[in-house]
Amino acid sequence: MSADTHKKPKKFVQDRDAVAWKGRYERYDIVKEFLIALVVVAILVTGLAVVFGSPDDKPVTVRSWSTANPVDFAQTAITELDGTSGTAGYGPPYNENGTAQSIGFITPEHWLGVHHPIDTANDFVLAPLSTLPNDPEVQAAVAEYRAASSTQQAAWTAAYEKAVANATFTDGKLTVPAGDYGPVGTIVTALTSMARSGALDGALLASRQFYGTDYTKPLLFIADGQYLASLATKDHLAGDQWGMMNETGQWPGQAWLWLYTLWYQVPPANNSTNGDFQVFAIMIGLTILLALVPFIPGLRSIPRWTRVYRLIWRNHYRDVEGPGGGGTSGSPPQVEGSAPEPEPVSA
Amino acid sequence: MPAIALVFTTLFGALIDLNKPGNYIHWGFIQMSYGNLIVIILMVVVFFAAILIPFKTHKSKEGDR
Repeated sequence: MSADTHKKPKKFVQDRDAVAWKGRYERYDIVKEFLIALVVVAILVTGLAVVFGSPDDKPVTVRSWSTANPVDFAQTAITELDGTSGTAGYGPPYNENGTAQSIGFITPEHWLGVHHPIDTANDFVLAPLSTLPNDPEVQAAVAEYRAASSTQQAAWTAAYEKAVANATFTDGKLTVPAGDYGPVGTIVTALTSMARSGALDGALLASRQFYGTDYTKPLLFIADGQYLASLATKDHLAGDQWGMMNETGQWPGQAWLWLYTLWYQVPPANNSTNGDFQVFAIMIGLTILLALVPFIPGLRSIPRWTRVYRLIWRNHYRDVEGPGGGGTSGSPPQVEGSAPEPEPVSA
Repeated sequence: MPAIALVFTTLFGALIDLNKPGNYIHWGFIQMSYGNLIVIILMVVVFFAAILIPFKTHKSKEGDR
């Protein structure tokens, strides 16, 4: 005799258990409904596309950035060379120079380590310039910079960073006040010209793959400047402008991402260096909560309390309860205090 | 512009140009574009319509079970 024979019947819980359906069944063609929905959505999408079109902003490239604002490009380039840019001090996965985002002892970025190493001075400035052919002056400047001591390099870059703050760009030429910055002036001027020609975009994309699909370097370089941030702010796409749910121009954006971007507008994420990880943790927590709703007493009773289901299935409740029915408990009919006998349920 | 391109642009080009600076509403820390607001209102309307519009009545025959 098995232990199951004496198993006590499980108590029926109305928000957890379902009663086997004993009423009649209706035929339902789900394939037909799918096809109708497909056609309706296709007509809607096509019609809306014809009427409204779609956002078609030109992509921001290193070329477009350095053409629109060459001074900002030069000011950013020197921060890449001296290691003070946002990317240079970001930390994992690019380098070890910054603090990884964390909550307590949980530091996933640190655990995963530097798996996309970027040395901004070499990768963004010196290595691309080394690819320029037939330019001995630039190659000599790069060689002189590489051969100098780190103290000398720091002195040159500090002097240039101070000078480039007052730089101007006129008649296609970057003009930087004179200073004791050694070969750095030649390096940044050459990099600015290379960027404006479009060659730097290609050099930053160069990879071992046949098709260049890794835009990490140009994107980080562009994001280190002020130009991209100013464009994003203009289009209300910045993090403190609910940017995640916005779109360029007057088009509606990704409104369904409101809950993700909400946390960036309120403490603690709006003023924390760990904001991204905090938002991630909050959303993971809420997602787990949503998945576990059927198992959480109280939370799983909300549909019964709100009685929206009675509105949706009002014809059914009118039939089973009569015109004056409805009750006050909000419980679906047939729900009793003990579990009914199990019965095969068919769809 | 070639004639064929002109015809297609006229026929299929966007009739309403949304490629202009957006307009935004501010409520405290909430900031929302009119485009998003309209979409959200439409979603709410569709939600209530889905609840309130009655189902097509099924007249089942005996033996449908």
